[in-house]
Amino acid sequence: MRAPITPLPPRKSQYGIDPAMVKTRVCELPGMTSVLLKELFPDLPEVIFPGPGGVEAVRKAAEAALEKIDMSRIKPEHSVNILASHHGFTLLGGEPYAEMLKTIKDVIEKRTGCKNIRLRAGVGLRFRETEEYIKRYGLDEHFNGKAIGVAPVDQGIPIETEIGTLYGIKKVYDADWIVHAHNSDVREVHFHRQVDRAVKPFGMSYARIETRSTYHQNLGPRAANFTARAIFDSPFVQSKFAFASFLTVAPNGIIGVDADNDLYALNDRVTQTGCRYYGKMMTLFGEIDECIAALDFPCPVVYVFSAGVIYANFAGANTDLYDLDMPLPAYTWYTEAFYGKRGRPLLDDIPPLNPAIKMCVHNYAWTGYPSAFFSEHIPTVVVGREQAELFNRDPQNLTYMAHAVVAEDTRAAMDFAYKATGTGKVVIFDGAMGGINVSEPLAELLLQKAPAVSRRVDEELLPKWLRQRGVIQR
Amino acid sequence: MKVVNLLAMVDTEKCRGCKTCERICPVLAIKVENRVAVVDAERCRGCANCEQRCPDLAITMVKRDEPLVVKVDVGAVDYDRIMDICRRAKLNPEQLICYCTGTRAEEAAAAILQGAKSPEEVSFLTGARTGCKVECIQPILRLLEAAGIKPQPPKGGWQWYGRTVTVWEIPEAVKKKYASRGFYFDEDIKILDRVAAAPLQGRSDA
Repeated sequence: MRAPITPLPPRKSQYGIDPAMVKTRVCELPGMTSVLLKELFPDLPEVIFPGPGGVEAVRKAAEAALEKIDMSRIKPEHSVNILASHHGFTLLGGEPYAEMLKTIKDVIEKRTGCKNIRLRAGVGLRFRETEEYIKRYGLDEHFNGKAIGVAPVDQGIPIETEIGTLYGIKKVYDADWIVHAHNSDVREVHFHRQVDRAVKPFGMSYARIETRSTYHQNLGPRAANFTARAIFDSPFVQSKFAFASFLTVAPNGIIGVDADNDLYALNDRVTQTGCRYYGKMMTLFGEIDECIAALDFPCPVVYVFSAGVIYANFAGANTDLYDLDMPLPAYTWYTEAFYGKRGRPLLDDIPPLNPAIKMCVHNYAWTGYPSAFFSEHIPTVVVGREQAELFNRDPQNLTYMAHAVVAEDTRAAMDFAYKATGTGKVVIFDGAMGGINVSEPLAELLLQKAPAVSRRVDEELLPKWLRQRGVIQR
Repeated sequence: MKVVNLLAMVDTEKCRGCKTCERICPVLAIKVENRVAVVDAERCRGCANCEQRCPDLAITMVKRDEPLVVKVDVGAVDYDRIMDICRRAKLNPEQLICYCTGTRAEEAAAAILQGAKSPEEVSFLTGARTGCKVECIQPILRLLEAAGIKPQPPKGGWQWYGRTVTVWEIPEAVKKKYASRGFYFDEDIKILDRVAAAPLQGRSDA
């Protein structure tokens, strides 16, 4: 068995505990090993990062992708907002995304002579998160002081769409041109269901609360992402849209940069890779019969990564998140909303959270996302009183600890989990690059199940998933 | 229901009176007076919106000595009227409308029946929209509208701008136009209608 892969280090942030308090990583404990994702799925694409070229490989890929982009409408006297989102900075340490943003700015300046290029970086529910990243990656300096974080409670601007008025963040649109700088990582499949994934930020990180609430409360689990398309297709946004540049990602790393003046063409390519590569990983996760899930990554509970899959998706891996015939995944905000006062779903056909997760060991994960649903329905052990106290002070997680217990350290938490559950299978959400840190029994199971999963996705599931989204299989 | 354990505190040396906090507070608990932000401690629901957006980092959240329990007694209101408002808003009374505070539609409806006439008043009474501050504005606006109330956004504020479309209101032409791209409008209407009509599990706090 391979040694565990060194996980991404804890990150200093107002949303997490001091990194110095993370004394032990779960993968350091006895019995842990790793599996390379290419061992599981040999058809995963080759990656440019991580790799010997470092982030310079990302710069080169971005420059090459941007060569084909028509920038002729951007004039030297114009202003350009490069639109970024917090999520990109959580991918493989964040440097690849930051490097793509810097490269876009440099190329626009060189090609067009335009100097007034700003960075507007949107967030999820942690309103200062991108402010932290702007400093960490030197983006304020690179953008000559014109890099700011924007939040959904900031001043808004009405946008007339074919489904009525929706609202964007005013500072996102306060330039002559906007450039949509994002990534193809699937992340919240439970929300967007890989429908218009590339368009989603127009209804989310670039949008005001009214729009985001429309997505999560007004339209339904499979119609939700239409808010993004409605905004993007609006005459207002179309009058400003210059092009999109995406860091393209697979579960095993960064595979390149894709850029296009036509966002929907890019979107179809993103749909292909999202369904094909992540679909295999998620389907394989659905084969796990029992396990302890260990959270150990600098992100909120739902967003910690393992093999490119976030914990929120693993919590729904007992269902096929890509199958649009299945209305409600085990976890979405719609599903959570549909649990009644007795703690049971209001409809009998709402699936439970993944019953294979026997216990969650929360070694290190951030606040800033409502996560009490998880600790309420999955037995949860939080490591360290400081972390528990941080959750008790978070307005979004005031009841998270009401459903969880505290262990003094990582070893004690895992010992408790082993004894309480009786399983030796552990999957660690620690962002290990290129592979997955797991316990030895789980490694054996994954290696055994992967070939059949790969065949099933290729022959049966992928054609269905793409057909449901109107995308022609390549 | 929300247990409010935090309180916004203003550093008057840092505050420049820009009014960002005043424009975004979901319960109108902070105002700029004489060019300095002032917090109404009784109104503050500890959501940290002001702390998170203050451009001068002049606000910190401190732990309250005595937490406030914010809750509307659903049992004090005729439940048939609560059900009527919820059904008109196409929400199940037991459906959560605020994931952070666990506020259900019935509690927001009860707040409205007890006199709340704006999202700010609903948030003040129930605590809803004082967690993430983002996701629950629309069901609150839908419930107010279902009760025949048309609130106006706070003057000069950015708290909210307006109610937006629901899936029941998507034009047929739009549904048809995008039918092949994975948007399941009519199918989602069926699910949401079933949820709205689902039997109640119990009025344990009534």
